[in-house]
Amino acid sequence: MASQDKLTPPLTRIVTAPRRAGPLLRVEDLSVSYGPQEVVTGVGFELGRGESLALIGESGSGKSTIARSVLRLLPGNARATGRITFDGQEILALPERRFRPLRGRGIGFVPQDPGNALNPVRTIGAQAQEAAALLDEPDKAIRKELILETFAQVGLDNPGRAYESYPHQLSGGMLQRVLIGLAVLPRPALLVADEPTSALDVTIQKRILELLSRLQQDLDISLLLITHDLAVAAERTDALVVLKGGSVQEAGSTAAVFSAPSSAYARKLRADVPALNPDRYAALRDPGFARLADGKAKIAVSGVTKTFSVDGKVLKAVDDVSFAVPAGTTHALVGESGSGKTTTIRLLLGLDQPDHGDITVAGTPLAGRSQQALHAVWRHLQLVYQNPFTSLDPTWKVEHLVREPLDRFRIGTPKERGEQVREALASVGLGEQFLSRRPTALSGGQRQRVAIARALVLKPDVIVLDEPTSALDVSVQADIVEVLLSLQAKLGLTYVFVSHDLALVRQIAHTVSVMHRGRIVEHGTVGEIFDNPRQPYTRSLLKSIPSGIEGGTHRNPHAFPLKEQIA
Amino acid sequence: MRNAYLVYAAKRIVQAVVVILLTYVFTFIVVSILPGDPVTNVLRNPQNGFSEEEIQAIIAAQGLDRPIPVQLWDALSGFVTGDLGLSMRSGRPVATMIAEVLPSTLILASMTLAFSLIIAGLIGYGSQALPRKYGQGIVRGIPSLFLSVPNFVIGLLLIHIFGFQFGLFRVIDPNSFWATFFASVTLATPISAQIAEVLVANLDNESRQEYAAVARARGLRQVRLFFLHLLKPSSLPVVTVIALMVGEVLGNALITETVFGRTGIGSLVQRSVSTQDLPVLQAIVSLAAVVFVVVNLIADLVYPLLDPRVKLVGAVRRPTTADEGSANIPSRVVTE
Repeated sequence: MASQDKLTPPLTRIVTAPRRAGPLLRVEDLSVSYGPQEVVTGVGFELGRGESLALIGESGSGKSTIARSVLRLLPGNARATGRITFDGQEILALPERRFRPLRGRGIGFVPQDPGNALNPVRTIGAQAQEAAALLDEPDKAIRKELILETFAQVGLDNPGRAYESYPHQLSGGMLQRVLIGLAVLPRPALLVADEPTSALDVTIQKRILELLSRLQQDLDISLLLITHDLAVAAERTDALVVLKGGSVQEAGSTAAVFSAPSSAYARKLRADVPALNPDRYAALRDPGFARLADGKAKIAVSGVTKTFSVDGKVLKAVDDVSFAVPAGTTHALVGESGSGKTTTIRLLLGLDQPDHGDITVAGTPLAGRSQQALHAVWRHLQLVYQNPFTSLDPTWKVEHLVREPLDRFRIGTPKERGEQVREALASVGLGEQFLSRRPTALSGGQRQRVAIARALVLKPDVIVLDEPTSALDVSVQADIVEVLLSLQAKLGLTYVFVSHDLALVRQIAHTVSVMHRGRIVEHGTVGEIFDNPRQPYTRSLLKSIPSGIEGGTHRNPHAFPLKEQIA
Repeated sequence: MRNAYLVYAAKRIVQAVVVILLTYVFTFIVVSILPGDPVTNVLRNPQNGFSEEEIQAIIAAQGLDRPIPVQLWDALSGFVTGDLGLSMRSGRPVATMIAEVLPSTLILASMTLAFSLIIAGLIGYGSQALPRKYGQGIVRGIPSLFLSVPNFVIGLLLIHIFGFQFGLFRVIDPNSFWATFFASVTLATPISAQIAEVLVANLDNESRQEYAAVARARGLRQVRLFFLHLLKPSSLPVVTVIALMVGEVLGNALITETVFGRTGIGSLVQRSVSTQDLPVLQAIVSLAAVVFVVVNLIADLVYPLLDPRVKLVGAVRRPTTADEGSANIPSRVVTE
């Protein structure tokens, strides 16, 4: 409560206009089109003062477009019709000159990707002063005080340093705190948060969402939350609006929609939340547990250490890491950003050499191999990248993308290669009509299927999956997971699965290693880790999984650590 | 940060000096091994009417009878101390000859550059801040117009309008202020267009970035958005373009001087080429190298000031991917 007390002076200084009756934000029959294409059709909802509402849907459902209509940040070629009433004023009809005073002061905005939401070449302080300029406080020094107070309030442990820093010097979680601070600094009546945590780790996500809930309570702000994650929305908001293809599928109070969804789409969304259905893929996965006992190790990593020196300081990215993966099973490496997951798989793939320790893939040690010998190993060891939007060359056709590994390894005649490409695409559920398409004509899920087909076409034994679904919506993620698990059941593939999404790991992995600051702090089968975690770090990770069933704990906003823990 | 920048700057300056010295040595050697001995071609040319004693005196004064390495060492140490030798034709110090004509060229070139920047800046501002209905499209069309109209057409138009119609300057007096002014405008037109194209493209790109939308949502006016947010990141590539353009500006300035008979480096180059006055040519080539190196040095020094993300030392291999970015790995490498 101390932080709340600290904020009393600025609160009294800003005398808010007398409250008008009726809801704060009312959207009626909103339609938005880009050129001839209508992306939002006849959407309507109401948000009361001090209340919270979530717009839920997958990519392309129009949820962000609605948010941008409320903020009047639509691109020039967009056309919005209908009515958006904010505090009695009709936003869409106002000229920019009359709407601008509402920006920041009336409606605050917390964007999706904190890494791109601040000007990279200006200090955070300079940009915070812009938000503080809305406070009608003439003295720059006092404005700075207010900024630092707000920074402390949003949980930045060193507000002064953040003020002086450039955006690239802070982590994503800290930047999102800065952005939330800037949004609430002028005390808006409404906060629009567009997927505020989708670019962040699960643990950071939880803290940011808790911060938003708490500020919403403390400062009596209305919250319009845009998310694709039903569990997140259910935990944080009073009401839900489920969108698909630009129109409302279902709307109502969170309790009603979440516990008893009436529309088919809302039911599917609920089923796709990994945390709510830990046994969803049990039929596909569980036979693999038998291979844990008798299968011989496909991958053995023992005592691997890798250090980097940065700024003259030595950083142990991977510290004495050992694990083994039996053939035909899935091993998950979990941990937050910076825990050493990515370095571990770089070592596993032979892209970096470990300082100490041995890595063996299918009985062949990787250490000291020439480039050519590594080439032979890579045929059996393929990687699927995190982001299918950047890992596929946009100028290539799907056929070329999937065939490239075969060309590289000079496998088969051109005709056989064509056959194998079709086969690989078919195994990920893509028909021949996709062969001549380019990545830009594919959805995120289709792109990731192409990326998997590209890895499969060499018929590898091991596929390393580097957060293969983190760039995708929950519903598309379910789709990809299903593809991966059926492939494993059919072909006996061994997966090394890197993720920070523990709910997903619980659905698909057989064994789990929890990494923290370069070390494996806990290791075991998926049951051991999830049902009986021994390390406090593992328990804290498990607690950050959004499940939607905390039910109303966001009404008790002070029961969490306030400060961002900086490693 | 301060400290790291100073070390970086010092390194760059040392590098620049080394490049200048190497250029000098290189041009000296090239000139020495070129066929066509100036002594035979010029001094012994009967038309010039030098007597044998005079020729010997010039050879002795220039030290042309000494071995090439000795001449090089002599010339180089002179160059370092600012002594550029004596003209082979007039016997006057080359440094003095250059100093006489350099200001006029520098004025023309820097006015050209200034006009280019002003015009490009106005086009850039118009492309972002001008509402569509008030002719943003027209402003965006200006660069292609400027690039497609030949230089002499603009020059003749300006002479016609301001020289003949308004009588602002006398066309036969190319060294007057207004003549220089309009000459710079003419030279600046295509250069401003090239800078403006880069600037507008970058401004468009920056204004599409999420941070621009977030700043707008913070209630920033278009004017402030332009000057506070968009201009600085957009000007990074412009710095590079300007550094490249300086060569073009100088080249065009020399041509203009020669064509219009203005006094300047251009006329000096023309005279010394036609008389094979090697010491003067050598000095001018070195001067050009100095200008290029200095301009690029300035660009290098400005870059880290404009963009704090520019790394001041060679990249150190760090374990970064999209997933393991900045959490507990210091994300900048600035120290030496």
